[in-house]
Amino acid sequence: MIHVDRKACPLTDSALRTVGLTKRYGRLMAVDDLTLEVAAGEVFGFLGPNGAGKSTTIRMLLGLIRPTAGRASVVGVDAADVTRAHQVLAYVPGDVALWPHLTGAEILHLLARIGPGTDLAYQDELIERFVLDPSKPARTYSTGNRQKVALVAAFATRAPLLVLDEPTSGLDPLMEREFRTAVTQARDRGQTVFLSSHQLAEVQAICDRVGILRAGRLVEVASVARLRALQRAEVTVAFTGTPPALSAVPGVETVEAIGDGQLRFFLTGPPAPALSVLAEADVTALTVREPSLEEIFLDYYGAEAAR
Amino acid sequence: MLPALVRKTWRDDRSSLIGWAVGVAAFTGIYTSFYSQFQGAAELKQDALPQGMLDFLGIADMLSPAGYLQATIFSLIGPLLVLMCAITLIARTIARPEEDGGMELMLANPLSRAAFAWQRVAAAGSALTAIAAIPWILLMIVVPWIGMDISLSRVAAASAGLVALVWCFAGIAFLVGAATGKRGAVLTITGGLAVATYMVNAIGGMLDGWHWVRWLSPFHYFIGTDPLHTGWHPVELLTLVLLGAATTTAGVILFDRRDIGV
Ligand SMILES: Nc1ncnc2c1ncn2[C@@H]1O[C@H](COP(=O)(O)OP(=O)(O)OP(=O)(O)O)[C@@H](O)[C@H]1O
Ligand SMILES: [Mg+2]
Repeated sequence: MIHVDRKACPLTDSALRTVGLTKRYGRLMAVDDLTLEVAAGEVFGFLGPNGAGKSTTIRMLLGLIRPTAGRASVVGVDAADVTRAHQVLAYVPGDVALWPHLTGAEILHLLARIGPGTDLAYQDELIERFVLDPSKPARTYSTGNRQKVALVAAFATRAPLLVLDEPTSGLDPLMEREFRTAVTQARDRGQTVFLSSHQLAEVQAICDRVGILRAGRLVEVASVARLRALQRAEVTVAFTGTPPALSAVPGVETVEAIGDGQLRFFLTGPPAPALSVLAEADVTALTVREPSLEEIFLDYYGAEAAR
Repeated sequence: MLPALVRKTWRDDRSSLIGWAVGVAAFTGIYTSFYSQFQGAAELKQDALPQGMLDFLGIADMLSPAGYLQATIFSLIGPLLVLMCAITLIARTIARPEEDGGMELMLANPLSRAAFAWQRVAAAGSALTAIAAIPWILLMIVVPWIGMDISLSRVAAASAGLVALVWCFAGIAFLVGAATGKRGAVLTITGGLAVATYMVNAIGGMLDGWHWVRWLSPFHYFIGTDPLHTGWHPVELLTLVLLGAATTTAGVILFDRRDIGV
């Protein structure tokens, strides 16, 4: 007879879960009642402006700081139980500092020895791909190189969860591409990736879902696709003859004439009704611009910033 | 096989460990080997300084071998040197890597905070013990070599006191660093405490009715028993060691419970 402990065996297959997670510094609510769940195998983007509480959340997930209230678990293990929780995760800090007199290779060796298990062959491959010179002492490394050491160490583990705090802030565009490849490979191996970022293009390119944090509060969690769908597309048409009668078409907003024989409007929802109206008019050119996540992001924060 | 963290801690601290070892060895070697040349100069110095000053500096007589060793190695500069070494090395176990962020990556590994702290303190503590034992080792060689007329057992007793003193202050430094995570706090609090307790021991001995305050000073347990004349005092040495062990344990417990890097 096997006794199954329901708490030890989570119902859902979640890689990361927080319930009412809160951190207060004096009167400042750095993270306020954060409830979030990331499924196993997901690439989750944790987005927010400076000081939103991203690093604070991550540091609570790692047990570096204790929550004021609430709790967090990683792959079913209580985050406060660091010896067990850290068996299932690898971490890249937002601001990577290394022991100054050790070389990159010595640090990687140390991390592999005390870490949750490292694929050394893959680590060597990553060192090549990230063009890291591991023979130099860490004090001579640039910000980007220090970040690369931490990234190589994290990606080379077989930990089911990778927690990355602004992992590309110090990387050049070429290295950013390597980073995206490494994330894709991690996902293909079934690893879950939780990354915080300001870089919306990056989140857009590699994440499945996004959580947006503002002033310590989670304001939205959505798939990248749905988040974009929330947003209107900007359509510009050039035509000859009578202008298309768009005003009453469902989904079409703020039609305005811009110059001679040109119209601009915003489109939400399915485009079919608008297209059929346009088909009747003599349209000579059409451009559709999808908003970047950046604009969605600015929409979220625009009001706040303009205040 | 030693834990990787211990070996890498030694490696990271390698250049400063070598520097301190060379410094302490040079200090001990040079002072001791100049014993005969110093005799004339010492007489002059003794005539020039008032008795109260000589007592304060712990150099009551510089002519006997015991008095000479006391004055040069064990009274002021020796302890000062090894304690400076202890405080700076112990500040590197937790406070410095916490301040510059180098600890965060390490603590994200499957290693309890207590295990991390013990391994760091084991690495720094063993290196520190080796450095503090350098005067002991050198004196065992140099004293018979230059023909100083003093029992080696008494020299060993005083030298062991120096190691015990280092353990005591290393424990205090570790406690401050583990509790605060601030390098400045380690240097000022432990350094301040070392100076204050040195003064308490030195002045307490000179004021009638105030002799008891010396019992509060680690320096009393190290040199107040006059080991160069009276030999071994195991209870006093054990007191220093236990103080070091207790403060270290308290440091590990506090470190395990607080927020890191805030
Ligand atoms: N140790 C601390 N003491 C007091 N306040 C703190 C502390 N650490 C963080 N904060 C505050 O908590 C809030 C959240 O900080 P956090 O570092 O989590 O932001 P972030 O989202 O990671 O920002 P960034 O994008 O700039 O890295 C900020 O207002 C910050 O000033
Ligand atoms: Mg941050």
